[in-house]
Amino acid sequence: MTSFEKDLEKAIEKAKKVKLVAHDVHGVLTNNTFFCDIEGRRKYSFLHQDGFGHLSLKRLGIEVAFLDTTSIDNEGLYRAQELKLEKCYHKVRDKMTKLEELEQELGISPENVCYVGCDVTDINIMKRVGLAIAPADVIDEVKRVADYVTIAPGGRGAIRELCEFILKAQGRWENWVEEVAKMGYK
Amino acid sequence: MGRRGSQDGLQIVRIEETTMTTRADAIERAKKVKFVILDIHGVLTDLTLYYTDDGKKSEIYSLHDRLGCAALKEAGIEAAFLTSKITRIDQYIGSIYKIDRLYGTSAKISQLDEIEKELGLTDEEFCYVGDEIIDTGIMKRVGFAVAPADATAEAKAVADYITKTPGGRGVVRELAEFILKAQGKWDAVVEKLSKTGY
Repeated sequence: MTSFEKDLEKAIEKAKKVKLVAHDVHGVLTNNTFFCDIEGRRKYSFLHQDGFGHLSLKRLGIEVAFLDTTSIDNEGLYRAQELKLEKCYHKVRDKMTKLEELEQELGISPENVCYVGCDVTDINIMKRVGLAIAPADVIDEVKRVADYVTIAPGGRGAIRELCEFILKAQGRWENWVEEVAKMGYK
Repeated sequence: MGRRGSQDGLQIVRIEETTMTTRADAIERAKKVKFVILDIHGVLTDLTLYYTDDGKKSEIYSLHDRLGCAALKEAGIEAAFLTSKITRIDQYIGSIYKIDRLYGTSAKISQLDEIEKELGLTDEEFCYVGDEIIDTGIMKRVGFAVAPADATAEAKAVADYITKTPGGRGVVRELAEFILKAQGKWDAVVEKLSKTGY
């Protein structure tokens, strides 16, 4: 991974401006695999700890959006419902347009957007947004355009790591963690 | 690499092999334990959630933990689940492991206060097993705090004992053996369970 060493200070500066975190479902929340049994029933694996990352962002006023293009079933929706995330866009064909709509709706500019890319179809968006992230296990083309490559792979903590990264950069993580450890969260 | 990537104050560190180990007084602490509180996700499970195509959720558990819970019970140590939200899966696992107390709240410290009040127990008579940042508050309070091998660095930092077993692979089994050996009850419990089953 040495050829993809990133300027951490620069990524931190970019993370300070983030107001929206957007990403696909597969390759980010999952490791792109699914189980299929002999009856054709499918099963997808997510990670519990990513949920605390999403919840932390939401509670601290950073919006989260799923731009779900790859789902075969409604697994992205199920996960969003469980996490009480309203902005889950299912079977999106044009992620760029959807993201532009979201920016307008929220009244933010591209530099306020963090986008996690997991394949070649994400590269254009990654070049456009303020903070572009790549999970540890994505292809080189995606890593090349990322501002920060997570240590954790997709579906194994990449999102949790990203949420901590943003909130630490914004100087809000420590207080939030202290509060949660004492009082829990609503 | 461990399953968790993290930043330590934004200086990136890999958490895998940390220097954090079990505290020297872990056995002394374990001797006083009368009640074990278990976080579910990351302790009884490996944190993976499965969603089927029709929206059903499933998780992985270890049969080792069933023995762990049975052994604690046999020795007169009650175990309870304490997690942010009790789901139907948790209720089901509770019934299999014969756990009567299932607490669903993220305000874990106030729940501990309530249990202490109800049972007349003190902080040092509690063992808490947790893997997450949200568990660190209650872990600092109880007499014997335990973290699974693959817990977050924050949880490991406040743990008195770190199991060799990762979450979802028999943490409670290992812990039960540790506590009951410390209390000198292990051999009798094993003998009993070998005869009666569990």
